[in-house]
Amino acid sequence: METRERIRSAFGEHLREHGRPPETVFAFCKQIEIPERDFFREFASFDAVESDYWEHLVSSVVGAVEGGSEWKEFNARQRLLSFLYAFCEASLDHRSLMLSRLGPLGPLAKPNFLKGFERSFRVFAKGVLEHGMSGGEVAERGRLAGLYPDALYTHFRSVVDFNLKDDSINYERTDAFIEKTVAVAFDLIRTQVVDSALDLARFLIPCRDRNPA
Amino acid sequence: MIEQDSIESTRLSRVAAMAGTGVRIGVNYLKHYGRRAVGSASDSDVLQEANAKAVYDTFSRLKGGPLKLAQMLSIDRNLLPPAYAAQFAKAQYSAPPLSYPLVVRTFRREFGKEPSEIFTSFSKNAAHGASIGQVHRASKEGRDYAVKVQYPGVADSLRTDISVLKPIALSLLGLKERDVAEYLAEIEVRLLEETDYALELRRSMQLSSQSAQLKNVRFATYYPEWSSARILTMDWVDGMTLDKFADGPASQAERNAVGQALWDFYEHQVHVLRVFHADPHPGNFLVKEGQLWVLDFGCTKALEETFYRKQFRFLDPTLAEDPFRFNAALAALSIVLPEDGPEKRARIVALCARSIRLLATPFWSDSFDFGDPAFLQAIYEMGEANAREQQSADLKGRRGSADSVYVHRAYFGLYSLLSRLRARIDVSLPEWIKSGT
Repeated sequence: METRERIRSAFGEHLREHGRPPETVFAFCKQIEIPERDFFREFASFDAVESDYWEHLVSSVVGAVEGGSEWKEFNARQRLLSFLYAFCEASLDHRSLMLSRLGPLGPLAKPNFLKGFERSFRVFAKGVLEHGMSGGEVAERGRLAGLYPDALYTHFRSVVDFNLKDDSINYERTDAFIEKTVAVAFDLIRTQVVDSALDLARFLIPCRDRNPA
Repeated sequence: MIEQDSIESTRLSRVAAMAGTGVRIGVNYLKHYGRRAVGSASDSDVLQEANAKAVYDTFSRLKGGPLKLAQMLSIDRNLLPPAYAAQFAKAQYSAPPLSYPLVVRTFRREFGKEPSEIFTSFSKNAAHGASIGQVHRASKEGRDYAVKVQYPGVADSLRTDISVLKPIALSLLGLKERDVAEYLAEIEVRLLEETDYALELRRSMQLSSQSAQLKNVRFATYYPEWSSARILTMDWVDGMTLDKFADGPASQAERNAVGQALWDFYEHQVHVLRVFHADPHPGNFLVKEGQLWVLDFGCTKALEETFYRKQFRFLDPTLAEDPFRFNAALAALSIVLPEDGPEKRARIVALCARSIRLLATPFWSDSFDFGDPAFLQAIYEMGEANAREQQSADLKGRRGSADSVYVHRAYFGLYSLLSRLRARIDVSLPEWIKSGT
């Protein structure tokens, strides 16, 4: 496990400094003084390392908010908001990297190096939605409800995107963006509008990245 | 769902909402002319009323900057046709509530701590709204606090709202930007100041310590250690708002005491401190155990010496009797302009003499009874008559000083609060006016 962490952080360091992955795995291993075999035992590619890096960022924020003293009293909406605010706060430590890696992408892009990022957010979102359903905040809508995590992930990516482009003092516009969009999302999630909208979205969003179930 | 688009379209749909008002005004005019065509009595006042209602409905849907702007324009009844002013005076701006996680985020950013780490209890929902934020009730070691938290980016959105909507608002209200530019600039400055809680904290502490000696006037204690640009903490005051007190069963003696406290507070600020609480809204004052508690120093206005002298010279009862001095005093405030012909000048002077004689009445005796409904009634009637005269005699446009906006607002507010209280007030003129220097 220690090698894994070492690779992840050295890789993050390299990305931040150079704005792109190392030339080869061999060069990278030489730089951090580990045999190539150790690298490939942990990761299949640089994309896999980067994916792990972002996954780690999301899951550490999730861990921090879930450990908060008031978490248990929060409803689904407050849980989602807490995560988004905490993520924006935490992302200040990774902002230059996010600017170079995520900045050029649109919120709908699904590159391989963000697989872990998405996976770990979805796990969190699923928990929030289940909490919302048990509290009556989120309506159970059968197959359509299965698209809520998609919508929440796209929303999360737009928040990140908005934050990266935000030049207001203290990123206050991002705060307002989060506040307003989450309000709209939870208002929609209670009405029939969302059924039709999600149905349309499912029709429009290309399926190539989704595994046929 | 791509959220940036929905933010962009928010601005568009605002413009669309405004355009909707334009259409509705058009329809109202059609009805007006239609009625005229069939020969029934058409009343332009009714028409203006209907239009004002349509504009007001649009503004209140928009909230934020535009509504505030309209509200501020309505302060000075000379700036808006009376029907509009009456509609906007009803407006009570309220911001959408902040979620608790955002309050936590704001606390973390401002103090590096969560509300629950600073206070033993902190309400998750707002106790009530403030004009650009909300108030939470907190407690610690047996003391209760009111914690005001501001909406993020409110200054920014106020600025955009004002610049985007100003031209549209002006054309809807039939005002020319060049005529009201100075007023708008003054109003914008005050509005933006309201978003700076650090400034509000400094002023609150200063004004309250400089007014501490006033009888029956009390101020909440402010806590700089738990205040910042976005958060303002003060003592929680349990009291009755001034309007509830005034409409309640209080005795005449209690009414007089509270009214006197309010009067003394304004006289002290204007004539001694030269800076005053410019928002005499009944919600900004509480009555507790017969004493007046003053809250919310978000909107204060400082008076420069030269302007102060020009403006308050009119309190001198001998001034209006002396045409030469009176003319000079009006010219100093740019109420009469050098290019006015003799006839226009005479009309303005007569109009001002009439207004001042009425408005300054309370100052010209040892005590004044605001319980007499005839006084406020006379002021309203004069306001309408002046507005009509201004229209007919083409006295509109750039007259008077922008600094006067808040003086008028404060005194009209003060008079209407005192009338509501039905209080009898002891009055004395400032020394420099009595001695005529």
